[in-house]
Amino acid sequence: MIELQSLWDVIFLVALVVAIAPAFGAYLGRVYLDRPTFGDTVLGPIERGIYRLLGTSPRRSMTAREYMLAVLFVNVGVFAFLYVFFFFQNLLPYDATGAPGMSWDLALHSAASFTTNTDFTHFTNETQMSLGALFIAYPLALFVSAATGLSVAAAMIRGWVRRDGTIGNFYVDLVRTISRVLLPLATLFALVMVFEGVPQTFTNYVLAHPLTGGTQEIFLGPVASYQAISLLGTNGGGFYSANMASPIANPSALSNLFGVFAMMLIPFSTPFAFGQIIRKRGEAWPFMGTILIVFAIALGLFIAYQAATNPALAGIVGLGPQAAGYPVGQETRFSLPESALFQVVSVYDNVGANNMQIGAISPVAQLVLLFGMFTQSTPGGDGTGFGVLLLFAVLGVFVGGLMVGRTPEYLGKKITTGHVRWAALALLVHPAVILIPFVVAVAGGFVSTAAATLPGSAHTFSSVLYEFTSESANNGSALSAGSFNDTTVFFNVAGAVVMLVGRFVPIWAMLAVGGMFSGQEVLPPGPGTLQTASTTFTIYITLFLIIVSVLLFLPVIALGPLAQIVGGP
Amino acid sequence: MSAPAAPPPLSRAHSITGHLRAAGLFLVLMVLVAGFGYPLVVTGIADVLDPGAAHGSLIYGSNGTLVGSTLVAQNLSAPWLFWERPSPTDYNMTLGAPSPPGPSDPGLRALLNETIRYIQKYGLATVNVTVPFAWAAPSASSIDPDLAPQAVLVQVPRVAEARNLSIAVVTALVNNHIVNPWLPYVGVPYVDVLSLDLALIDQYGPR
Repeated sequence: MIELQSLWDVIFLVALVVAIAPAFGAYLGRVYLDRPTFGDTVLGPIERGIYRLLGTSPRRSMTAREYMLAVLFVNVGVFAFLYVFFFFQNLLPYDATGAPGMSWDLALHSAASFTTNTDFTHFTNETQMSLGALFIAYPLALFVSAATGLSVAAAMIRGWVRRDGTIGNFYVDLVRTISRVLLPLATLFALVMVFEGVPQTFTNYVLAHPLTGGTQEIFLGPVASYQAISLLGTNGGGFYSANMASPIANPSALSNLFGVFAMMLIPFSTPFAFGQIIRKRGEAWPFMGTILIVFAIALGLFIAYQAATNPALAGIVGLGPQAAGYPVGQETRFSLPESALFQVVSVYDNVGANNMQIGAISPVAQLVLLFGMFTQSTPGGDGTGFGVLLLFAVLGVFVGGLMVGRTPEYLGKKITTGHVRWAALALLVHPAVILIPFVVAVAGGFVSTAAATLPGSAHTFSSVLYEFTSESANNGSALSAGSFNDTTVFFNVAGAVVMLVGRFVPIWAMLAVGGMFSGQEVLPPGPGTLQTASTTFTIYITLFLIIVSVLLFLPVIALGPLAQIVGGP
Repeated sequence: MSAPAAPPPLSRAHSITGHLRAAGLFLVLMVLVAGFGYPLVVTGIADVLDPGAAHGSLIYGSNGTLVGSTLVAQNLSAPWLFWERPSPTDYNMTLGAPSPPGPSDPGLRALLNETIRYIQKYGLATVNVTVPFAWAAPSASSIDPDLAPQAVLVQVPRVAEARNLSIAVVTALVNNHIVNPWLPYVGVPYVDVLSLDLALIDQYGPR
């Protein structure tokens, strides 16, 4: 078992984020209210210049339909740019890595992956990715996908405080997200990472001469600037294929904690941005409560089951006690709770970066990670996670209203069949694009296992389920690289479709719901109004979210992770 | 009440060409700002603030050759050196970081058994010493350059024997190289094995 004292920095870090979330959330809210923030004298004129260049203006507020169109224009642009870049990367002029151009299906999967904030990679960065892509194409996608998520959430929230049917200007939201949130924070965080030892250079690799002879290629590059926006923007792509487990991308316990902070900051603050925009700060707490309850249970379970010894390794002759060492697939420089904190935050924020080999963790811990991607909203990725949580709330208020015979209204706006239809669509499309391709893959014989793993084992079953879950939730972590071959045409094409549908259908629903609310009159609170800034509502929404998620996925987790927990291979 | 004190919104929607222009120019701008500007600015500042880290924490031998990086493990499996954690890729970064077998996979047990036999045969002075779990367990990155102190100390008799040094001298050197967390509860004590081996070579010769 672990000593309790090693939990202190984990508890401290979570408490720190909860303590500054209200202030940072209020700042985020001001960004989307178009209010003055710090640096206005410098940024204001630059932003106005950009609006003129783009031919738009903050005063041209869009309807939900037009906002969605703008989202599609920008994101299709990113997708097309990445596709062409990956497909022809071998023709780039200054490239020294010699990475070949990607096949059409791998380029499709990779372009969809980076456009949708997933960053699920079916290739090895070190040998299959050109320097040009790492320098130019990646950062573009990392910034734009994170900014898209946050802008969409802000637009949806505006629906509660507007009555003209519009929800803001997408281009203005994008520009302000990048100039006032992502770019300054990413620059700062990248420099902190350099101080912790992460490389930041334009040298591609150096050739070292190890002490026992031979040579060793050491890959370098702009790792700090890449990892900074990757974590902050809940993208999760790694510069190295070992991601944040690589000692050169995450050199110390302190850099690990900074990484955790960067991942948590925006998703844990978004509820307070909501409170700021709707001008009812107390309404943020039910969501913060829901997020914290689910997150705390997940982290506690994960640490407890990782600290337990693995019965499958009992009695190996000549091996020291498991409690004295570290669990399999974990790095020396992090304590067990620190590794666990990074991994749980990464998956629950839908970042998808790894600082351990999650294929080697206990089956209960695997189930904990899967559950975070099933809800995809506790707290979920930048913006979209909170958007999904709001859709859960809309549905929850509607169902609760029906149960107690009250008019279903939330924060002064009446919930109608239209809202419920969109919310249900967004929440049902998630299991649909996980389970349908999963069944096709398993039943259609598309899963070919590598020699090292048992064919048809519960572990392989979990890995395939995890793959599609991770893609639909736009997470990007993979349970067990190499436990089955996912670089086939089937997994590339199916994965690309799952990621695009899992990203843009919920975004469409969020905008549609926001647009409908925006067109409605505000109802004055009456005696029958549901008190939503209350403990009762917090517990209700938490249970609603857990029960809905469990019901949607129970049959399939029984076959994979649960089978492993009760002792399957 | 909803709109801030600003002029009333323009009702005119963007035309399709308007959207094309806005989205297209935005992407061009982002390629310049995020693709070129951001990494260049960070690299420029990093080069001034902490050039050693920015260039990969590279470490050079006494004759000036590049030995490696303190952040990347390398093959040190010689009797007269301290070893790092085993690597399925033989510390080759181009092979990435393969996942170890799953927790209940018999392959994991077999892998640990094989590793322990190898370490007991070549990595320890006497066969019957227990191998610390922290040494035998596969790492996450396949290039973990650090090792838990007890896994380094267990190698001391073998290194001392190979170099004809006393156990006390080698133990003292190891104890000097234990990196303690700078705050009591952040991280765990570990040894950066490459730095330890370089110190060993520096003080007592290459072998």
